[in-house]
Amino acid sequence: MRRTGFSAMVIAATAVLAGAVPAFAAGTSATPSPAERATSAPSPVPTRTRPAGQEPSAVPTKRPAATDAPTRVPRDQVSVVPSGAPDTGVTAGSDSSNTGTLIGGGAAAAVVVGGGAVFLLRRRQANGE
Amino acid sequence: MSRVSGRALAGLALAALLVGCGGPGATTGSAPGSSASTSSSSSSSSSSSAPPAAKQVPAVGRSVPVALRIPAVGVDTPVMKLGLAAGGTVQVPPIQAHDRAGWYENSPTPGQTGPSVILGHVTVGAYGDGVFRHLGQLRRGERIEARLENGTTAVFTVTDVRTVAKANFPTKEVYGNVDRPELRLITCGGERTGDGYRDNVIVFAVLTGSGH
Repeated sequence: MRRTGFSAMVIAATAVLAGAVPAFAAGTSATPSPAERATSAPSPVPTRTRPAGQEPSAVPTKRPAATDAPTRVPRDQVSVVPSGAPDTGVTAGSDSSNTGTLIGGGAAAAVVVGGGAVFLLRRRQANGE
Repeated sequence: MSRVSGRALAGLALAALLVGCGGPGATTGSAPGSSASTSSSSSSSSSSSAPPAAKQVPAVGRSVPVALRIPAVGVDTPVMKLGLAAGGTVQVPPIQAHDRAGWYENSPTPGQTGPSVILGHVTVGAYGDGVFRHLGQLRRGERIEARLENGTTAVFTVTDVRTVAKANFPTKEVYGNVDRPELRLITCGGERTGDGYRDNVIVFAVLTGSGH
């Protein structure tokens, strides 16, 4: 029983403290706070003027922060982030590099031979054959 | 030089050219050739009608992906599950002929809010081209379809294709939280280094539809 009472107090204190933080932030951003205090306007001001006693006002100011939290800071969507970069390509070691060279070599040879053929044809045409 | 030898030379040149093209071209010509032509028209229309980043659709229910289709680059593959390898890197699909893509099981399923990650090989060693061989040719606005176990198909639209050095892998951009259902397709690319590649090719896409 005593324990419950104590934890209730702790929760209440936490709520007040947590409520005070957004209220402070609101206070700094909204400059005309003195004027608003007089009219006892919406939520941010009351929590500032009577932070200790009035828990009801502290709770509402806390609630928006609480509803924000689950959408803003959920657990990570990727629960375990892998390290490094994925190894998503194997070039077949020596085998594939050989075929690569072969293909490249073949293409190069084609260019050389093709160029030679064109040259020969041209020369033959130039000779009037 | 005689006319005969000239002709022979020309013939030789032709033959060499054909061999040179046949190597890398043979595999691309078979399946993707037909689908690529049909998809190019549909993709261009989708890119003009739907600016991919602007459109938002609701997330789909959680269900494991079983297949992946990317018409623009001729991908139509089953999808396996991938976990973590020893050392904390992500597992990759096995090196085999007709390799598959794999979904990283610690990422959201496709269509759920967050970055769903699917990996595939660009080449599979002696077996030649990998399932993601032409991933780097994807363009913004093109379509990716992930079929889920529950029969739903989550449709994504490419928003970005990047080639990044593995040494500077953008972990946060790939695996970090996002506020909508997105997809990451990862393969390798760039220069070959030893028996691997220097870079990763990463496709970023966003959910733009779903159906059955």
